Amino acid sequence: MKTRLFILFIIFGLGFGIHPLQAQEHSVRLNLGYNYSFPLGTMKSDLISHSSPRGFAGSIGYNLTPQWAVGAEFGFQDYYQKYPRQVYNTNKAQQISGVMSNSVQVIPIMARVEYSPLLAENSKIRPYASLAAGINMVDFNQYLGMFKNQGRTSVNFGFHTGLGLRAIPGKTDKWGIDVGGDYSYAPYNKLGVKNLDNVNVHAGIFIRLQ
Amino acid sequence: MKTSTTLTAIVATLLLVSGCSKDPVANLSDEESRIYITDHDSTISFSNYQTFYISDSVAVIKNGKSKMQRTESDVAYIDAVKNQMILHGYEPVEKDQNPDLGITVNRIISTTSGVISYPTYWDSYDSYWDPYFWGYPGYGYYLPYVYSVYSITEGAVSVDMIDLKNAPQTGELKVIWTGLIRGNNIYNEQVADSQVKALFDQSPYLKSF
Repeated sequence: MKTRLFILFIIFGLGFGIHPLQAQEHSVRLNLGYNYSFPLGTMKSDLISHSSPRGFAGSIGYNLTPQWAVGAEFGFQDYYQKYPRQVYNTNKAQQISGVMSNSVQVIPIMARVEYSPLLAENSKIRPYASLAAGINMVDFNQYLGMFKNQGRTSVNFGFHTGLGLRAIPGKTDKWGIDVGGDYSYAPYNKLGVKNLDNVNVHAGIFIRLQ
Repeated sequence: MKTSTTLTAIVATLLLVSGCSKDPVANLSDEESRIYITDHDSTISFSNYQTFYISDSVAVIKNGKSKMQRTESDVAYIDAVKNQMILHGYEPVEKDQNPDLGITVNRIISTTSGVISYPTYWDSYDSYWDPYFWGYPGYGYYLPYVYSVYSITEGAVSVDMIDLKNAPQTGELKVIWTGLIRGNNIYNEQVADSQVKALFDQSPYLKSF
């Protein structure tokens, strides 16, 4: 599926590209955008199934060559779900009835490599693929009614792989629009939850800093 | 460049808005904020008891000290417990008619930074409800099960059921059922019925038949 998407991006990029690749070596680019996230795996089945509209994603990249850039990515996503009132058996004799709320905040901080296969100097659409690895800072809190039942802050390994497009509406590529999506692999293994995997879509802007 | 500055401002605003976490507590109604905890002695059968007496006042336990009160809200809670007991087949009697069960309603308030934990609550129980009140001076209260420790930093209403039927044989006032209501806006006569009903609904073993 990803291969197909990648090919589509290349074809799409070719359609808009006019000239062959020209160097943007040693440039620094900042991306900032809104992020929408869809939980997957045990995060979806055991913790929070609702998608999250509360997030942002950013990255900063330094072009080593016209195709390759290295840098860092960061972001924030807030997940929340409230479940209907239910009676929970805490032991043989004790029952607690409450509305359970799960709240998870994830802050990824990762090293990132980006590849732009068809970077034409005057092309208005520039596709890219990215890989990132680093940490996810996770804050998980569970409430029963208005009372915190359990909470844990932890740092976990994380991995992102993504595809995107940059559109350049102006005459120069000093700024533009960045849209894309990524898959986030996020092992967790705490409080009975195995992972916080998710799929994200983002939209924002990029600015060439130098 | 003006365009990019404008876009940056738009994105920055969007980031600020999107970056806000949803506060789980602020997103609850009063009803959703409440929890109901019940615990009981699982070794006994509640059908062995037929009659009960409930005090006409509430013990208000504030920062570890208690006094008896009877506000409109207190009366509403007492009446709600009485009604639920009758619905579950128990017969109300006067204290001098040897009730099988004694029931207390308690309002717990903490205004200090300290918390009232359940062990503390039970440790001082005889200062709130002197065993003499039940006609058993010198007896001690006994809680036969381990109650989970739930710290109380806000208000709570508790309902406790005491085995008076077997007190002469056992030499102690055994607490055989307890219910706790916590959350927003619970000291309110309008909600007393529904709060007490919630405790009884999750205790299906509470029946005299």
